[in-house]
Amino acid sequence: MFDFIISKYNYWIYIVLMMIGFYGMIGKKNLIKKVIGMNIFQTAIILFFISTAAKRGGTLPIIEHGHGHEMQAIEAASYVNPLPHVLMLTAIVVMVSTLGVALAIVIAIYKRYNTLEEEEILKHKI
Amino acid sequence: MRILALIAVIITGAILIYGTQDMPDWADPQSPASTHVSPRYIEKTLEETATPNAVTSVLADYRGYDTLGETTVIFTAGVCCILILRIRRRHRK
Amino acid sequence: MSLQSPALAVVIPLICAFLTLLFGWWRKGLCYPTTLVALSLSTLASLDTLRVVITTGTIRYHLGNWDPPWGIEYVVDHLNAFVLAIISCITFVVAVYSKKSVEQELPDKIIFFYTIYLLLVTGLLGIIVTGDMFNLYVFLEIASLAAYALIAIGENGAPLASFRYLIMGTIGACFYLLGVGYLYIATGSLNMADLSQLLPGIYHSKVIIVAFIFFLVGIGLKMALFPLHAWLPDAYTYAPSTVSALIAPTMTKVGAYVMIRIFFTVFKPYFSVELIPVTTILSWIAAFAMIAGSIFAIAQSDLKRMLSYSVVAQIGYIALGIGLANRAGLTGAVLHILNEVFTKGCLFSVAGAIVYKMGIRDIYQFRHLYRKMPFTMGAFVMGAFSMIGIPPTLGFFSKLYLILGSIDARQWVFVAVILISSILNVIYFFKVVETAYFEPRDLATKKEKEILKVYPHNGGGREEIAMDEVPLSMLIPILIMGAGILLLGIFSIKIISTVIQFAIPSGI
Repeated sequence: MFDFIISKYNYWIYIVLMMIGFYGMIGKKNLIKKVIGMNIFQTAIILFFISTAAKRGGTLPIIEHGHGHEMQAIEAASYVNPLPHVLMLTAIVVMVSTLGVALAIVIAIYKRYNTLEEEEILKHKI
Repeated sequence: MRILALIAVIITGAILIYGTQDMPDWADPQSPASTHVSPRYIEKTLEETATPNAVTSVLADYRGYDTLGETTVIFTAGVCCILILRIRRRHRK
Repeated sequence: MSLQSPALAVVIPLICAFLTLLFGWWRKGLCYPTTLVALSLSTLASLDTLRVVITTGTIRYHLGNWDPPWGIEYVVDHLNAFVLAIISCITFVVAVYSKKSVEQELPDKIIFFYTIYLLLVTGLLGIIVTGDMFNLYVFLEIASLAAYALIAIGENGAPLASFRYLIMGTIGACFYLLGVGYLYIATGSLNMADLSQLLPGIYHSKVIIVAFIFFLVGIGLKMALFPLHAWLPDAYTYAPSTVSALIAPTMTKVGAYVMIRIFFTVFKPYFSVELIPVTTILSWIAAFAMIAGSIFAIAQSDLKRMLSYSVVAQIGYIALGIGLANRAGLTGAVLHILNEVFTKGCLFSVAGAIVYKMGIRDIYQFRHLYRKMPFTMGAFVMGAFSMIGIPPTLGFFSKLYLILGSIDARQWVFVAVILISSILNVIYFFKVVETAYFEPRDLATKKEKEILKVYPHNGGGREEIAMDEVPLSMLIPILIMGAGILLLGIFSIKIISTVIQFAIPSGI
């Protein structure tokens, strides 16, 4: 049981973090709080992916003695998995872009209604 | 509404945690993610792409098309912001 | 040329998006022609892809020449090629239509509008052709970001509607990404073909089941499946007319395609049909969507909002076809995607044309519209017939196959639901047709007479309403879509025998 917790607890931390963000997205009424929730959610997903790359005893995926040396047999197990890092580099950019567009839309809303509370905006509309 | 959101969040979290039970242990070198596709990136990076940094070689070469998509996303976001926020200043004098 | 055509279909709009921006700074008038050239070339490439797929079978295109599980590949089979062809065709036709409407509604945003238009098309086509889970996510975000921005520049309520769409869409995309992450942890692969080889060995793993649930909810949000549809009506109603005509036929239908791909290619039918009863649940959700969407649509008096709820109902039909998971049902689903793309494109274009000419959207003000805009209303009636399912329009055949699928599955409830939903369709489309065609002309109020330019000098006190059609650049695309609904319906047997019957995933 204790081993089970030790071997899984990092996933649980990220899931808790994700759920905090998720609650912010669907539970909060303020638009900026929703955006912050979105950011937390996405960052937690990044952490989750990165944690899958880890290998016990692995180091950075940069091959030592790269150029100018004799080609040596490279042991994959001694370097961490590079693929999740690459995926998350792409995902970070995607998420930053989403954040940018979200904030642009929030600015457009603020210009029109002078408030960021969803309920007040809805009152405005009717 | 808050209660509903809370219930949705708890259910989602519970499903996610339920799924972790069958996951390989954290940092296990024998997990499928570490043994199926990724070893080639580390072992062949020097031979195939002449780049010692495996992350760079995957980013710019093996999965370079994703990176093209990534730059497109940034471009899209930039143009989107201009599209949303640009106001005509003709009426102001 | 034909070897490269799947990649060209995606890359041409992408490159031309940059060019549109550059040309636009130099001369504003060049944006529209550049867009048309880009989309026509992209459509040609898609049709060429379809031709190659029909003659030689599945295309595998290795980007950067890296072998599949390591690099990214495009896999184009009959299903892909078919959806690719119809989506690129409709985006081209809507682009032709867009000129006058954009000049009227968004005069100072033409350059950026067309840039984003092309990027949206890039994203949609990229989603369709790719054979890689993560690549799909990247292109999904390109398409979604473009859609959020295009909706946000609409009328008064648009920014808030767009913001809600953004929140819901981001939750959908994040759930999809989480699903990809879970699959990656369990298998170590991102390639769809590779995953479908690896997954059967570990179908009982809890990781896989959770991944599947997250795919279902994430894509359900993106395609506005019934309880998750709340963002859709506002977004489609407040968006500019052209944007509604572009996004309503394409976005949700591409979501439906992704759902078919994940249910029956990445996961084998054995998993999604037998192991966990998800297709049964999906077909019941779909049945609720069909009834509820239609009932909401009846309650609306705004034409665009009515059509938006109709989108929710029609997504139910497609989801029902997926949920039935037999040959006839899936044939119906794929045929209904084709039907939805053309019909919703036509109907939203007509709504945009009416807004362009008259500035009204309330269907109770549509009196005598058929005299003023006979061709536009003719196309509308054609679209309405197809939504209802009157032969020989396309909608009749897709509903026929869905009914056959329900009978095959011995689900008599769904047969009844399809029929009831069709009757509800009759009610809300007839409301429009009745006002536009049959309303006694004496009832027109004074104000409406002014709007309608009534000429009281003709023949014994009878009023003559002058014909005042939309410009040809709007009318021709509308008529093409209207005629397309009829012709595709007549040739639907041929379409099924050449393409769709091979598009049904193996194992069903």
